[in-house]
Amino acid sequence: MARESLLIATIVELADNLVDDFDVIDVLTVLSLRCVGAIDVDAVGIMLASPSGELQFVASSSESMRILELFQIQVDEGPCVDCFRDGTAIVNRDLADSYDQWPVFAPRAIAHGFHSVHSLPMRLRGRTIGALNLFRSKLGLLDEEDVALAQGLADVATIAILQHRTSLDAKVLNDQLSYALNSRIIIEQAKGMVSQATRTDMDHAFSRMRTHARNHNLGLTEVANMLVSNALAATDLDS
Amino acid sequence: MVTDRLMTIFELLAQHERTRAEGGALCSVAADLTDLSGAGIVLGSAGRAMTTFCTSTDAARSLMDIETMLGEGPGVDACSSEGAVDEVNLPTAHMARWLAYTPLAVSAGAGAVFGFPVRIGAVRLGALSLFRNEPGTLTESQASDAYLMSSVIARAILSFQAGASPGTLAAELEREATFDFSVHQAAGMVAVQGSMSVGDALVALRAHAFAIGIPLSQLAISIVVRDIYFDPISGTWRDNLGSES
Repeated sequence: MARESLLIATIVELADNLVDDFDVIDVLTVLSLRCVGAIDVDAVGIMLASPSGELQFVASSSESMRILELFQIQVDEGPCVDCFRDGTAIVNRDLADSYDQWPVFAPRAIAHGFHSVHSLPMRLRGRTIGALNLFRSKLGLLDEEDVALAQGLADVATIAILQHRTSLDAKVLNDQLSYALNSRIIIEQAKGMVSQATRTDMDHAFSRMRTHARNHNLGLTEVANMLVSNALAATDLDS
Repeated sequence: MVTDRLMTIFELLAQHERTRAEGGALCSVAADLTDLSGAGIVLGSAGRAMTTFCTSTDAARSLMDIETMLGEGPGVDACSSEGAVDEVNLPTAHMARWLAYTPLAVSAGAGAVFGFPVRIGAVRLGALSLFRNEPGTLTESQASDAYLMSSVIARAILSFQAGASPGTLAAELEREATFDFSVHQAAGMVAVQGSMSVGDALVALRAHAFAIGIPLSQLAISIVVRDIYFDPISGTWRDNLGSES
């Protein structure tokens, strides 16, 4: 599929999801996965600012430990922190030249096989609410078209977070952000339960939860809540 | 910027801990930080009996007593809500919301009341109630501080439950100012290993990390990579060779 068509397909898929009750983490996960397909990068994730202004991980194209670790570090330092603070894009940053700027993040990202990172702001009416993060293992630069495409997806992600689009006051936005971040924590707790009960890794535990949610027309967070409250046994998830 | 605010919280906590009894420091810091008239913390989740954990002043104590006695008010609602709850002009408020609470709270001196949920993922621990003598909304920075304070309170309650001494609370919290994703995954795993709730698993993890003197995030990673597990039969933690850890 041509890249433009991929972007359009992604937006249509997301728009379908946004019509009624949708799960924000699931939508952002789909968006991260599509981003890996549309742009020549190897991993994509989204970090959102909590109402108190701290960045937290919410969704990624991969649930593996090594990727999640790179988001965890960025609570304190890294391209997302800089991009979020200044509200400007960071593109084609060579990790090997970034040790001074990111003493913890840069060496870990290189250890996981990445050469460059890119971070694009998620902006809403003058306020930056988070950042889209792209990791690339190949050498070479992302071209302008790639960057524009990624920024387009970051804009779609921003819209996806605003469930109550009619009212954009600060309190509603704070509640939406707080809800998205808390959903992510519930999902991690549920992933741990599924991983233990079914003896699988976290990546597989996550995809089982997603599959079950889709098969039963439930939200991902809803499934996570059912697991954590013991309303659904991990061993009863569709595989 | 968050780091600066967190440092302010820890400094205030350290100061207040010298003069206030257990827990009391948290409420005083919440009121100071948000520049409001008073603060209280209630423990309890949706549908369960609530108790007051601490209050910053006598007026705050009266307001919390009214809430827990009647079972309605901003803290009660925040315990089960997804986001913050507020009533910015209590004297003119629509009575149907909190029929019994409103007149009593107004006569106790509250002009505006706010409730923020205190939780860690699916684990609901309670709520932070804040009030001001005069009506009016919170500014964005006051609301941000209240959210930040709620997340500090959640970790503090966990530390108290795991047996951390109140005098060392600020230092304890500073070490674990942000939660790791692995802590949440480990809590889910230990909940299944020990057939307990995720909330109890979090407390058990915290207590064990405290007992063996390692950071919670380090213990969590050992659980996630299956180097350590909780043995429900003996109630002890073991490594993958079966020896006690």
